[in-house]
Amino acid sequence: MSTVSETRKPRRKAAARKTSSAKRVKSQAEAVVSRSEVLIIGAGFAGLGSAIRLRQQGIDDIVILERATDVGGTWRDNTYPGAACDIPSNLYSFSFAQNPDWSRSFSGGSEILRYVHHLADHYQLRPLVRFEHNVESMQYDEQQGVWRVQTSKGLFEGRSIVMAQGPLSNASLPNITGIEDYQGHKIHSAMWDHDYDFTGKRVAVVGTGASGIQIIPELVRKAGFVKVFQRTPGWVLPRPDFETPGWNKALFRRLPASQDALRKALYLFHESVALGIIWDTPLTGLVERIGRMHLRMQVKDRWLRRQLTPDFRIGCKRVLMSSDYYPALQKENCKLITWPIARLSEKGIRTVEGIEHQFDCIVFATGFDVSHSGTPFPVTGRDGRVLGEEWSGGAQAYKSINVSGYPNLYMTFGPNSGPGHNSALVYMEAQIDYLVRGIQTLRERKLKALDVKPDAQRAFNRDIQRRLAKTNWNSGCKSWYLTEDGFNATMFPGFATQFARQMAEFDMGDYTLSPV
Amino acid sequence: MASIDLEKMLVKIKNTQWSLADIDWEAPGAELITEEQWPKLKEFMSDLMWIEHVGARAFAAMAKKAPNDTLREIYSYFHAEEQRHANAEMALMKRWGMLEGDEIPEPNINLRLVIEWLDRYADEMPVYVLGTVVPMLEIALDGALCTFLLETVDDPVCHQAFEKINDDESRHLGVGFTVMEMQGHGKTYIKTVQMLAPLLDPRLLLGIASYFPLLNKMRDNVVAMGLPEEKLYAAMNKFEKIGGRTADGRRNPWFQIIRHHARFVVDRSNRAYHVPVDAIVRLTGYIPRRALPAVPSWVKELTYRPAA
Ligand SMILES: Cc1cc2nc3c(=O)[nH]c(=O)nc-3n(C[C@H](O)[C@H](O)[C@H](O)COP(=O)(O)OP(=O)(O)OC[C@H]3O[C@@H](n4cnc5c(N)ncnc54)[C@H](O)[C@@H]3O)c2cc1C
Ligand SMILES: [Fe+2]
Ligand SMILES: [Fe+2]
Repeated sequence: MSTVSETRKPRRKAAARKTSSAKRVKSQAEAVVSRSEVLIIGAGFAGLGSAIRLRQQGIDDIVILERATDVGGTWRDNTYPGAACDIPSNLYSFSFAQNPDWSRSFSGGSEILRYVHHLADHYQLRPLVRFEHNVESMQYDEQQGVWRVQTSKGLFEGRSIVMAQGPLSNASLPNITGIEDYQGHKIHSAMWDHDYDFTGKRVAVVGTGASGIQIIPELVRKAGFVKVFQRTPGWVLPRPDFETPGWNKALFRRLPASQDALRKALYLFHESVALGIIWDTPLTGLVERIGRMHLRMQVKDRWLRRQLTPDFRIGCKRVLMSSDYYPALQKENCKLITWPIARLSEKGIRTVEGIEHQFDCIVFATGFDVSHSGTPFPVTGRDGRVLGEEWSGGAQAYKSINVSGYPNLYMTFGPNSGPGHNSALVYMEAQIDYLVRGIQTLRERKLKALDVKPDAQRAFNRDIQRRLAKTNWNSGCKSWYLTEDGFNATMFPGFATQFARQMAEFDMGDYTLSPV
Repeated sequence: MASIDLEKMLVKIKNTQWSLADIDWEAPGAELITEEQWPKLKEFMSDLMWIEHVGARAFAAMAKKAPNDTLREIYSYFHAEEQRHANAEMALMKRWGMLEGDEIPEPNINLRLVIEWLDRYADEMPVYVLGTVVPMLEIALDGALCTFLLETVDDPVCHQAFEKINDDESRHLGVGFTVMEMQGHGKTYIKTVQMLAPLLDPRLLLGIASYFPLLNKMRDNVVAMGLPEEKLYAAMNKFEKIGGRTADGRRNPWFQIIRHHARFVVDRSNRAYHVPVDAIVRLTGYIPRRALPAVPSWVKELTYRPAA
């Protein structure tokens, strides 16, 4: 489940988080529920994928801690109407577990969730998962070389930790004055209320990012009237979504090499788009031209087109993919509002042009808390150092996955591993293979701990930030990729291929090894 | 008045928002409008509301061209705030029975031309052109038109609305003059040439061609309503005084141009300026409505209703 920051009531009991946990860790008296070689936090793609790969290497003493009641992560939580992948499904799946049966070129959320369930069942992962175990804090015991992880249901110990709690798993409400005053129905895109009937209702959608543009066309079909509140328009490229013909599925099943080939082709296509999106190259202009043409063709009114025209370099923020968003905005029962929001009132949204827009329901498609400079729960490493404090000026890691002073701790989607243009799973796989090697090394060399050297981490970050400076993300627009001060702790400045190469190399020289 | 800190200003702007719903448009006092006042007031309000709306569109253009994020956000707030002024003024007109049904008052032909120009070209104008014209218009509004209105109209709801509007305007002016000074900063000759180069741009000339007659027409309207011309002079003096309070401000060539032009407009004895411009006003009066393209859709966003 995702939790909404700033809301009054957590949705499920398990979410009574971040409470007195820090104190509880200290009281060593508490009995340990279980000890294992590896503790994985989160049962989304990353957590499950790690478990699969670890087991394939013979490491099967694994416990997965998951705060919700089922596996699936992002795709369990984001069930809003229209939820779908904007990366072709053939690329948005693990290369070691391909699915020949994708029904569309861009799968819907429910189909992706089915795939995750298939992974959990096929690889028999469910027995490893402790559901409704919310991780509240964790602390390294240097003497013993183990991590103590405090959950809502007791203390767990593990030699190695995989933090796979997801980059976008904590839904966030915008910081709007009066959000508590609004008396109508409120829904966050990542916690959809499937019982609410939109038929005939006056609905507001706040936010026009990746989720917003998927929800809007669906709501416009159903609701009485939809007003869309946009702060900044993003680049929208057409999304060539079509059903996979039957012969195609048959071909993939009988000749898996053909699916591999398609996967490679899609991969290369996305890599080439990177050239235009990550850096300012001649391709950037071309991709922007496609975006503008798409807008021109779909929107006739000059003012509306102006409202929808982005004023930043493409790629600076996440590129949106949709062919039905612009048409939906122009339906009789839909209106785009670009006036800044002044506050929420009892009945609706007051915008700066002085008008109160009244609604039965407000849908917040306002994204997630992304911690650039903190950790989702307190992480205490060697000598009592606290990761959130060390990161207060922006998160830094070694190869996105380890942090010096926090031995045997691996992060999927750690600092600077965000893909701007390619499937997150491609990046994730490279990280998973890396952490499997680390954990294997520990076992093979009979080590207590593997801790990255501070110098190695520093050198790595100098290089990353130097490369980031040349990208479009750092070209001067504000986005969730950057901290308030414009520090980029999120994205990887390069091709997926370069990321894979970075992760393919495990340089023992960069680590301090402590024998048992 | 030293230059203001734009970051702080943005926070202040966000913290001082108001809505039409904050005012009770049904409160007593509407009857204080005299029968004699009514027709002229109707025309005045209609002009005023259109100036606000046109000003709103100018801020929208400035937001596109703003040199930094803070200023861009400030301008997009000002865009909306000017729209709020227009909406509030329409709500007053509604209260005084000056709107026929739900109709937006017809813009006069000179306004239509300015709207047309803004719609087509404003976004392409360098920020310092509009950045100087707008404060001048605002000071004329603030210093002359609005004070005059409040002196002649007794309706308390009108006073309540304009108290809020004037608070907004004082922030607009603060930012406006600060930006003018920013643009005068740095003194090279090349910079002056660069800033003046748009004068040769036919798009700007077209703008001037629609803007000059509008001003003359407005001036005639307000004077007809009884606005003493001294008030306009006083407003222009204020513009010159504040705009020229620092060396940077005086160095901004657009300040110098607009200042001179403003003098021309208010000085009705300047025949060299007014004879041709008034002639254009008369000429434009002959433009058939049919010849004009449909009003752009941003005009249709105006409303007097506090809730939608
Ligand atoms: C709406 C949406 C659309 C997306 N579309 C795309 C796309 O098209 N292409 C793409 O490449 N990527 C996309 N992404 C990114 C997506 O998040 C990743 O692709 C991927 O699903 C991340 O998987 P994960 O396992 O790392 O995290 P998640 O799927 O978020 O899983 C994390 C798990 O950890 C659990 N957890 C979190 N905190 C705790 C805790 N304290 N204790 C215990 N358990 C915890 C969560 O409940 C969750 O089950 C999208 C994301 C969203 C939100
Ligand atoms: Fe105004
Ligand atoms: Fe103003």
